[in-house]
Amino acid sequence: MVAEREPSLLERRLVIVTGKGGTGKTTVAAALALAASRAGKRVLLAEVGRAEQLPRLLVPNGEPVGYAGRELLPGLRAMRIDPFDALAEYLTLQVPARRLVNLVFRSRGFRQLMEASPGWRELITLGKVWHLEQLTDADGAPLYDLIVVDAPATGHGVTFLDVPRVVVSAVHAGPLRRHASLVAEMIQDRKRTLLLPVALAEELPARETAALVARLREDVGVAVDRVVVNAVIGAPFPPGLEQLDRDLAALPAETALGSLPPASALAACAAYLASRHALNREYTGEIARATGLPVVPLRYLAGGIGGAAELQILGDALLGEPRPAEAAP
Amino acid sequence: MISPAELICSRRVVVCVGTGGVGKTTVAASLALEGARLGRRALVLTIDPARRLADALGVDALGNRPSELAAERRDSLGIHGEGRLFALMLDMKRTFDDLVERFAENADARERIFGNRIYQHVSDALAGSAEYAAMEKVYELCESGDFDLVVVDTPPSQHALDFLDAPQRLLEFLDSRLVHVLLHPAFAAGRFGFRLFHRTAQRAIQLIEKVSGVSFLEDVSEFLLAFEGMSEGFRARATRVRQLMTGPETGFVLVAGASAGAVRGAVDFLDHLEESGVPLVGVVVNRIRLWPPGEAGALPEALSEDGDAAADTALLAQALVANGLEPARADEAARAAVEVAKGYASLVRLDARCTAELRFRALQDGRFFCRVPEFPRDVHDLDGLMRIGGFLVDDERRRTADGSSAAPVPE
Repeated sequence: MVAEREPSLLERRLVIVTGKGGTGKTTVAAALALAASRAGKRVLLAEVGRAEQLPRLLVPNGEPVGYAGRELLPGLRAMRIDPFDALAEYLTLQVPARRLVNLVFRSRGFRQLMEASPGWRELITLGKVWHLEQLTDADGAPLYDLIVVDAPATGHGVTFLDVPRVVVSAVHAGPLRRHASLVAEMIQDRKRTLLLPVALAEELPARETAALVARLREDVGVAVDRVVVNAVIGAPFPPGLEQLDRDLAALPAETALGSLPPASALAACAAYLASRHALNREYTGEIARATGLPVVPLRYLAGGIGGAAELQILGDALLGEPRPAEAAP
Repeated sequence: MISPAELICSRRVVVCVGTGGVGKTTVAASLALEGARLGRRALVLTIDPARRLADALGVDALGNRPSELAAERRDSLGIHGEGRLFALMLDMKRTFDDLVERFAENADARERIFGNRIYQHVSDALAGSAEYAAMEKVYELCESGDFDLVVVDTPPSQHALDFLDAPQRLLEFLDSRLVHVLLHPAFAAGRFGFRLFHRTAQRAIQLIEKVSGVSFLEDVSEFLLAFEGMSEGFRARATRVRQLMTGPETGFVLVAGASAGAVRGAVDFLDHLEESGVPLVGVVVNRIRLWPPGEAGALPEALSEDGDAAADTALLAQALVANGLEPARADEAARAAVEVAKGYASLVRLDARCTAELRFRALQDGRFFCRVPEFPRDVHDLDGLMRIGGFLVDDERRRTADGSSAAPVPE
């Protein structure tokens, strides 16, 4: 059987980046969007959630961009999808009487009803993404070649993507069902949409990533073709000196080293890096095994993520071919 | 300033809050273990522990009931006398079911709720439901009288107040006039002052029906009707839960990571916590790189930014050769070892820089500021919790005092 070739990362229309809190999924989303825009794509980067982090990652002193969004860099627009803004926009499109929508929106009761109601935030957010994906320019070409969504953290992430499908199965008729079907189709369209999980090569994130990928495949039916493993610590010692941590640990405690820290501290540093390296290696392999997917290791940047320079390093790695686990990191 | 040791000795509830991925669970478990070591009957309530940690604690994933650490493990952990350690993994759906069982008017109402489609998705989808279930469980555990100390590991959330506001939001919703109009249109229509509101609500309903299709609305109102009977009991309980969580018997601990992003998240959290007036007693920075790895000492001069660590590399090379290393590789090995140490020292400085604001904010407002180092291996056993505990509760298990005193914070 000849399998149909999966589109590459940049051939997709929509990449949804998700991961457990602290894995750096926002950084990965920003790096991917930046790399895609440098590759000549017209990119929209959409942040879902309350705190806006993307603008300050991408441009110095980046001010919040809000729902209206702003072009942060040439070919790279960023926005934050707020569910209430998206709902107001949706209702305005559905109900011609703008004053009525405004009146309803101002009522405290409506706000309270929506605050407590489940599911609609996810649906309306994805509905907005669908809408953005459908937009075209004057020539009828898509307005955005690629939309990168910085999705909520895992757990919430699965619910997030699963809501359209649940709505389609729970609601029997009406515009809501129709619109939810369109969104569900978009999510399940392997040619258009990719889910990009971001993990850390440590126990809890590795386990959560495996569970996430399983649920996404079984329940949601979204394409997942690789796992990004972030902040991987590389081999700490030069080739041929792999035993350095043990050589240092074997030094007598009273060894005179002048202004250098004591041998025990030097050994501890070497052991720390060797151990984190081994741990990252072990769980990178574990993620690949548990998910059956190739991994894209991103190396740990010791200086932190200061801005576009670091994002570019990560972006280049993201656009490279994913490697099977044996070769990583 | 109350110290972590005083906190776990004097309060009944300790709530660990913070963004995801910072190790709230291990810090919460360590605090509970320290509580048990100090002679308290301590319980840690976790949401989603790493499996090996759960196994180490003896958590029974299915019970939604406390399980106790085996008696034979107590001695080696220094738990003596009255001290006990319990752990419980929260089963959210079951906690909700228990609530419905308790407050449903009758069997019929109970079955209606259990069978309702909205309810079936409530624990997944209803905003703040995980937070509410956790608080409900804390209250139940405190009421039971079986524990002196309950340490809560909260669900990861971006917003600190989700945890406290969840019951209030649910109650406001149940109280809201719109809900009453949905349930009893006649109620509002008959009252003079509500006419304008009623018109708005009617329009809101029309709007919802237009976009949703009617069946969804029917489910919602059926859910609300079924829930209405229990709202009195539910309301009274939610009020008591909030009183417990914000009262003098409770202390909040903010757990933060050391990276720039994690600290930003923690500072946002701190702002929200302060606005809300919850009793925040301290900040724990978890997995911070300290010198030397896994301990908390002073960074040596030679490894400072302008220090000259290379000068004595030859001494290290000699020592390595004396210890049996091939002489041809000794210089390279010594240089590599010094590079590794310098690299690690720069991580120590980076973390110190990143956490400086958090430290300042905590100490300025009279809260403890405590640092738990990143260890070479991740903590997932009781011995690891003991090591963390040594950094939380000042004692002989660590070399120097917490960040508020001895350890230097390089610029």
